[in-house]
Amino acid sequence: MVRYVALRLGVLLASLVLASLVVFVILRLLPGDSAGVSLGVGTTTEQLEQLRRDLGTDQPVLTQYAQWVTGILGGDAGTSFVSRVPVADLIADRLSITVPLSLGAFVLSVLISVPVGVLAAVRRRSALGLAVSTLSQLGVAVPIFWVGVLLTWVFALRLGWLPSGGFPRAGWADPAAAVEALALPGITVAVAMSSVMVRYVRSATLDVLGQDYIRTARSLGYSRTQALARHGLRNGAVPVVAILGIELATSLLGAVVVEAVFALPGLGSLLLSSVLGRDLPVVQTLVLAITAVVLLVNFAIDLLQRWIDPRLRSSSVVGAA
Amino acid sequence: MSLRTLKTTALAAVATLALAACGSGGGSADDTAGAAQPGENEIVIGSTNEPTSLQRFVGGSSGVSQTMTRNVYEPLVAIDVDGEIVPALAETWDISEDALTYTFHLREGVTFHDGTPFTSADAVWALTEIISDESVAARKSDLAVMDRITAVDEQTVEVVLSAPTRSLLFYLAGVTIVKDGDTEHTTENGTGPYELVEWAQGDYLTIAPYEEYWGDAPANDGVTFRFFTDTTALNNALLTGDLDLVIAEDSPDQLAQFEGNDAFTISEGSSTTKQIWAFNDRVAPFDDVRVRQGLYRAIDRESILEAVWAGRGEVVGSMVPPTDPWFVDVADTHAYDPESARQLLGEAGVEDLTITLDYVAGDTEETIAQLLQSDLADVGVTLELNPIDDATWYERIYTNHDFETTLMGHVNPRDMLWYANPDFYWGYDSAEVQQLVADSERAGSEEEQAELLSQANVLMAEEAASAWLYLEPQIRVAAAGVTGFPVDQVTESFYVADITRES
Repeated sequence: MVRYVALRLGVLLASLVLASLVVFVILRLLPGDSAGVSLGVGTTTEQLEQLRRDLGTDQPVLTQYAQWVTGILGGDAGTSFVSRVPVADLIADRLSITVPLSLGAFVLSVLISVPVGVLAAVRRRSALGLAVSTLSQLGVAVPIFWVGVLLTWVFALRLGWLPSGGFPRAGWADPAAAVEALALPGITVAVAMSSVMVRYVRSATLDVLGQDYIRTARSLGYSRTQALARHGLRNGAVPVVAILGIELATSLLGAVVVEAVFALPGLGSLLLSSVLGRDLPVVQTLVLAITAVVLLVNFAIDLLQRWIDPRLRSSSVVGAA
Repeated sequence: MSLRTLKTTALAAVATLALAACGSGGGSADDTAGAAQPGENEIVIGSTNEPTSLQRFVGGSSGVSQTMTRNVYEPLVAIDVDGEIVPALAETWDISEDALTYTFHLREGVTFHDGTPFTSADAVWALTEIISDESVAARKSDLAVMDRITAVDEQTVEVVLSAPTRSLLFYLAGVTIVKDGDTEHTTENGTGPYELVEWAQGDYLTIAPYEEYWGDAPANDGVTFRFFTDTTALNNALLTGDLDLVIAEDSPDQLAQFEGNDAFTISEGSSTTKQIWAFNDRVAPFDDVRVRQGLYRAIDRESILEAVWAGRGEVVGSMVPPTDPWFVDVADTHAYDPESARQLLGEAGVEDLTITLDYVAGDTEETIAQLLQSDLADVGVTLELNPIDDATWYERIYTNHDFETTLMGHVNPRDMLWYANPDFYWGYDSAEVQQLVADSERAGSEEEQAELLSQANVLMAEEAASAWLYLEPQIRVAAAGVTGFPVDQVTESFYVADITRES
């Protein structure tokens, strides 16, 4: 196990280095120049060069990369080209919105999709099973921002139950208002995620239902639900846990998408405005941070799966990775 | 769908809502409002134009001018709502006989927000800074004619020019004065009627009245600008009472929800935003004046304006809006006339012409691009559409001049002078226009300046230097009872001191 964890950590680090390099180079290949965007129309070439010197974008790409990486290792992610504020401060400010939003949506979607998915599998031939399949199909097809627009229209504009967007100026000092502000965006992301998750839970449950040990349990007089509860859930959990990792990453990306719709000053809106403004230090650090989170989650999920299912522990590292 | 399915669906929905409600702690939706707990008469304004930084001189950000100029930072002279130059920190000024020396007499009793008095040294520093070697200010090249800037005494500044420049006062209206020598401008220590309270980047910027202001106190208790990237979210916030005013609506579709609703007032003023279909005049076939004229006449501008703004705004024939002093009506110089368009293109000898349109993708631009495409098809020209993003536009078109035609909205007032610069992105090169513009800067009076620029304006229109499509309307929507905001947008600043709300 120790050997396995060490190897997995090595892979994790290598992936991070590779990701940082790819992100950095791709951003430099994008057309459009940070200096140009922040100066706008009416400036001279000489001024552009002045600003490029100030920003350091006149340096060779590898030099810039080395500066960035050594900076990050030393705890300094650089300074925004546009606002001249340290990147770490910009990101830290916005975590207080995106993290609760994405975790909230994740928890909500698990709470919805696990019971609904299991139910849909158990009653797969009923109208309920059909309805779940149809709705989840629909949920997958509809863009997430559109769900947001629809929910806003109903619950904020028509019914007036929840705010249409924005975040309280006091932030989390007023927890009730903060949660209220995140309710609609959180539900929006959860709805989109649940549609995908329900299908996984349903098929994982169907898989388990077809196994011999369930049949044995049934023959011993257990009902299907009892058999599932006693023997099926732990087995069914393995593939579902794998999906949870992906879904946690999805909830982060979903949060990024809905932030514009709900005028939330989170990481998503920061990423969007930074890409448009070619604010490279912010974009590259954000993308790297998100990549790191996703990799770490996958790492944790791997360990969790092996903990749930002892059989996996004996398989080789290559097979598990 | 069976009854049971419906019931389950409803249950799922209720469960979802219950979860959300648990978290809400029972507060009503109204107290959340991104801008929570406004003061008695604090105004909350919605905008899609957030400052990218609070540095006053970096060109791309009109957001900083919109929120800060005249509200927090003041210039020596300002441009009022009618587009006239009026005193600000300079109470009066004298211009020498040869138009080379400007003497500014500064207002007395002015203090910065940190309490220190404003003196000529601050003005000299601010003016020197904008033309310094390190400056990346948009107006740097315009203001480089300032040869010597000196403090005559505590209350007097003298500026000596290397060449007479009629536009100097107009340019100076964009130079705001801050206190210290902090070139990064992180202190925001101005002299205006408001001081900066807080800027939460990506969210809002709040300003509060400055007690020791030299002029009249603001009519409100402070202003919060809230920033949106999505116009639907912006309008929703107005609908749910979180905003008092939206500075600019960007399409008529959004207005339908406010029209005929007593809770809101819609104002339509004039702007200085010219929507331009610009040709790269330095490359074939656009270097042939007949081709440009032909393409211009092939375009039905009335129907474009109708499609984009539902009849609001106005069709123009040049870079000059009616609020600029040298406006002449040239809207009909190249009126819609496909027959004459075909003839001009034929004379120029271009057949089966295919041209490319690069434009920054957006709803408005998409509509215009498609209308241009179909209008041009009528005269046998194929228009290939190439949507790009802002940064790409800037690099390819603005910097490298690597394009055939492009769409761009130009917001600045009095910016026809760019047509006198053959190195500008559209590459219009007319010796006559350049001469007229140069003469206008040496003009003995503002009337003479206006006369010369009017002539240049007519010439540019005739030669179809670009195809100017229309002037955008300035549409603002306010909650009922909110008054005192400027209706027209003739400068980049949005002066908020007169705005109040009836309670």
